[in-house]
Amino acid sequence: MSTVTVRNARTVRVSGLTVRHRRRTALDAVDLDFAPGVHGLLGPNGAGKTSLIRVLATVAAPSGGRVELLGSEVGAVTDHRSRSAVRRRLGYLPQEFGYYPGFTVREFVSYVAWLKEMPAAQVPEAVERAVARVGLADRIDAKVKTLSGGMVRRVGIAQAIVNDPDLLLLDEPTAGLDPEQRVEFRALLRELGETSTVIVSTHLVEDVAAACTEVTLVEAGRIAYRGTTAELTAIGSNGADDSLGDNSIERGYTAALRAHRTAVAGR
Amino acid sequence: MTDWHVGEEPARRYASGTAAETDAWSLEKHIEVCGGCAARVSAAVRGQGAAAAVVDDVRAAVLAAAAGGTEPVRSAAVRGPTRVPASVPPSAPRHHRVPLLSPVLRAAGPALRGPWLVAVLLVAAAAVALAYGARNGTGAEAGLPARPLLLLIAPVLPLAGVGVSYGRRADPVYELAASTPSGGLRLLLIRTGAVLGVSVPLLTAAGAVLPASAGAPGAVAWLVPAVAMTLAALALGSYTGCRTGASSVTAAWALAVVVPSAGAPALDPDALADGAARYFAGPFAQSGWAAGALLCAALLTVRRRSFDHLEKL
Repeated sequence: MSTVTVRNARTVRVSGLTVRHRRRTALDAVDLDFAPGVHGLLGPNGAGKTSLIRVLATVAAPSGGRVELLGSEVGAVTDHRSRSAVRRRLGYLPQEFGYYPGFTVREFVSYVAWLKEMPAAQVPEAVERAVARVGLADRIDAKVKTLSGGMVRRVGIAQAIVNDPDLLLLDEPTAGLDPEQRVEFRALLRELGETSTVIVSTHLVEDVAAACTEVTLVEAGRIAYRGTTAELTAIGSNGADDSLGDNSIERGYTAALRAHRTAVAGR
Repeated sequence: MTDWHVGEEPARRYASGTAAETDAWSLEKHIEVCGGCAARVSAAVRGQGAAAAVVDDVRAAVLAAAAGGTEPVRSAAVRGPTRVPASVPPSAPRHHRVPLLSPVLRAAGPALRGPWLVAVLLVAAAAVALAYGARNGTGAEAGLPARPLLLLIAPVLPLAGVGVSYGRRADPVYELAASTPSGGLRLLLIRTGAVLGVSVPLLTAAGAVLPASAGAPGAVAWLVPAVAMTLAALALGSYTGCRTGASSVTAAWALAVVVPSAGAPALDPDALADGAARYFAGPFAQSGWAAGALLCAALLTVRRRSFDHLEKL
């Protein structure tokens, strides 16, 4: 019973969210909510995925609208206190993941744990656990600059999950991972989604099909489609044109996107 | 019980995590039975507050840079937790912060980047070399007015350090840090503290060993201006981003130094030094800088929340 309650609890609520960069509108009065689970954020490049993730990660201020994360309002400048509280329970992998080259994996992940104000006594163990979960246990004392691109990406995931976040935001996490690592990563995502709200922005439809329970399609700053992965796949299997993609979910993605464009054009 | 008690110095070393392992064991054994010493150690641990952390930051960052490695810091971190005895009373949970200091120390790391540190050392060394080299080489009374020239550069050197330590363009982990509770103004102030903690002693030492020129301001006359300009850079940075803030203030200072001597033959060092002396000399100039520093600090306080989010591009 309590599990059901937790599952249904909306950990992310966004209403009327607008983000503008200079004159360009990146997000246009978006209403969204998310519950625990793994959510895929799909859409063409420049659709507004990164703008949305940045607002949810509290690093960008919305130009308008309300943002409620884990039960607290965090959007306004005056929400400093609740923002700090939410940030302790947040994990974030930015699209451009930067690091200090001279740090070892252990030092870097510990540093992020410190930034997240984790209790010091828990840090060494939490760091080893997070690094092991991304499969880098044998490289934990290697300097980050000596690692390959895919390994650096995994360090990025390790730092994001070191505090067992309630809200985990990953912007293009599979970029640079080889196929085997991506399979392992999806398994990790599913595991994390059992207790946390995981939002994964990606342009790789197959990542969504394999790891996400729900899909949100973003197009030109608006929400084009929301549904479960199964529903999107169903759109692609029911007599959709083969030219839309190589498999059901790709066809579903393209069909949903085109339906949205037609609807917008007809308005 | 014995007559042996924990003095202030061992207590402080223990609190900062630098006591030798055997000393730490003895100390821990002793404070299990001695209330007075337990209180003293607790106080020392509590004393490891924000200011102490910054000082430690600087020390460790400099040590790490000098050693070209991080072994001492890390081994302290690894050793730390195992040393915490189960009998430490719950009233001293801050003891657990000791091993954590090592990443805190590293927080200053990016602030003390190689190129900037080298630049500060070069300026200090060059000033000394200029002063003594010129005098010994020619036998003349004085070559270049080294101390006034150092005074010209010293107040803006910390600004350069701030400019390369924080912000979208300077810090690779900037966006990630901005999503954490420690990001924003707190991190910026820690790094600024680290920059000042390194540059102030170095430049003061360099100024002190320089021969005084007649009528020139004292060796530490640059201190208040440096603090004022650093705060100005941070306050301006709340609007423009830190790098632009720091470079704008530096440019303004360069103009203020060069313009008054514009009539003189191209950048004559003596004219520059004389012209700039008026910015430092006398209690009137100094209190002007102090007032400016207070004003900028107040503005920074008002603008503190602007650091909660990413700098605008």
